[in-house]
Amino acid sequence: MPIASVQPPAEHVHWLFAVGFLILGLCLLAEAIVGEATWRRQAWRAYLWPSVAFGMGLLMWPVMTFFTSSTLHLLAHGAWAQAMMLAGAAHLGLVSGKLRSRWWQLTMPLAFLVSGAAFLIHEANPWLFSRSAFGHHLCGWVLIAGALFPLGKTFNARSWVYNGGYALTLVVLAVVLFANRDVAPIFGHLSPDAGLPHR
Amino acid sequence: MRQALVAALAFSLALPAAASAHATLESTTPGEGARVETAPRAVVLGFDQRVTALRDAIEVRDERGRLVSGVAHARLDNHFVAVSLAPLAKGAYTVRWKTISADGHVGRGVFTFGVGVKAPPVTSAWGASGPTTSEHVVRWLYFLSLAALIGGLCFRLVVVPGALPRATERRFWWLVLGGAVATIEVGIVAFLLRAEDALQLPLTAFLYGDLSPVANATRFGKAFIAMTLGFALVTALLFLGWLTERRRAFLWPALVLSLGLASGLSLSGHAADDRGWLSSFADWVHLACGTVWLGGLASLAVVVWPTAAALRREAFWRFSQLAGLAMALLLAAGVYLSFQRLPAVSDLWTAGYGRILLVKIGLVCAAGGWAAFHHFLVRPRLDRSHALLSRTLPAEGLVGVAILLVAAVLVDSKPPPRAPAPSLGAAPATAAKASAPSPRK
Repeated sequence: MPIASVQPPAEHVHWLFAVGFLILGLCLLAEAIVGEATWRRQAWRAYLWPSVAFGMGLLMWPVMTFFTSSTLHLLAHGAWAQAMMLAGAAHLGLVSGKLRSRWWQLTMPLAFLVSGAAFLIHEANPWLFSRSAFGHHLCGWVLIAGALFPLGKTFNARSWVYNGGYALTLVVLAVVLFANRDVAPIFGHLSPDAGLPHR
Repeated sequence: MRQALVAALAFSLALPAAASAHATLESTTPGEGARVETAPRAVVLGFDQRVTALRDAIEVRDERGRLVSGVAHARLDNHFVAVSLAPLAKGAYTVRWKTISADGHVGRGVFTFGVGVKAPPVTSAWGASGPTTSEHVVRWLYFLSLAALIGGLCFRLVVVPGALPRATERRFWWLVLGGAVATIEVGIVAFLLRAEDALQLPLTAFLYGDLSPVANATRFGKAFIAMTLGFALVTALLFLGWLTERRRAFLWPALVLSLGLASGLSLSGHAADDRGWLSSFADWVHLACGTVWLGGLASLAVVVWPTAAALRREAFWRFSQLAGLAMALLLAAGVYLSFQRLPAVSDLWTAGYGRILLVKIGLVCAAGGWAAFHHFLVRPRLDRSHALLSRTLPAEGLVGVAILLVAAVLVDSKPPPRAPAPSLGAAPATAAKASAPSPRK
């Protein structure tokens, strides 16, 4: 069976990963609002978002291996898979007490930076080429700028600015991914080279 | 109901995606890897976006590297590019294409088709030069990674299954988790090197090269997909084993899965070209036993010996038994494979494959000598030989590392043919190399 015949539209996969980022963002937002002590009163809650991050990384591998229309895409998907797995695994280790050094928290800003760079490098089209191109550029810069929040949280865990910004970065990322369409205009503009809108 | 929803979500997420970027090849006529009975008059490529076609946007070459295509031109609103063909004889053909996307980037790709014959895989397309030194090194690193993963797991579960001192446990996790991650990373590099060889592109152009014909239409590509996904799962199992400290629940599945995935190398290499399933099975046994031996040796020398003095004696005895069994199976499978792949004894010194095999046999004899020294001389006096063993164990391991390097070169080499080959697969590339230069040279 040809692999292309079982490939869903890209927008569906974007949306499904958006669900994951929304869960991450909302969990972190809740933790930022009520405080870490209250959030972790139920032990399982502490494991929730790191598990989601780790699982999303694991589920990115099929995307990498099956979507091979260019080397850049393969490398970008691979970078996301590894960055999410590493960040999720490190935070699970911290939550469980298996890891004790706070420096492991730097895996999250590292994941943001690597993922943002991968978004920007693998998107070959300019911002206004189509909505998906716009979304990729926006995701890239949101992640790179947003890396400051988990970086700051590493050194000042109680700062509401860092905690809130960290959570909202992921919510914004989810919104951008939910807005994705395979071929659709952005601000009324669609490059004639992008093909016909799908709907 | 909840479980069904979760399963459906996970399945949906597991399906692959196609993200928009530069122009993507959507269709070809003739199809990629297709066998057509009637010679086509043109090659037509369809893209998802408008593209600009240069005069040499599509080049079609026969088995000897002769150009059989004309000037390329765009069709139908620039979503298609076509090139007319000279009358084609029966044989295999290689199509190399390049187009300019609207963003200015050049997309490139390669595929093959056959007229009246089976199309060769793209890794044997005209111009592909075959395995390079880089590929030998990468395959060697892949073997080493597998040895760290499989041998380390086997050692932990079979040789020292009980609780370990903290420092020993930490070294074990570094060894197997490092092995698992390295297996994935090196596998990706190996795939890219093979694809780069098939596409014959410089690095900057290769970044936009279409890898799907290599990934989806070759045994190597399918093995890459299965092994990458499988070893990602193995990594997750190892991580969960570390996190929850439930070794048996996670490490046994990881070991069984890793051993099964190692068969991907056998099913995508020479073994699959030989007669029947037995050859592939023997190749897998050979590889699996080699990784158990070398990885176990590394575990003994690097994990247990420096950090757990109280465990040395028991670990050495138990590993000695495991290694003996692994070596016996490894040798049996190796002898069988040698008879399979070398039609005559004289091939050992007349054929390139045979000469590499001779080197490997020599190194295996050296390793066997070390193993016999440890088994017959050191083991009876183990309590008095700890200092000696701390030097000789790494030495035996280094011989094993050298064996894997030679094995990597051997796997990338072509065994001598058993009989006159009708060979529609690899023959075009071989024939082409003999008569025409590679386009990159």
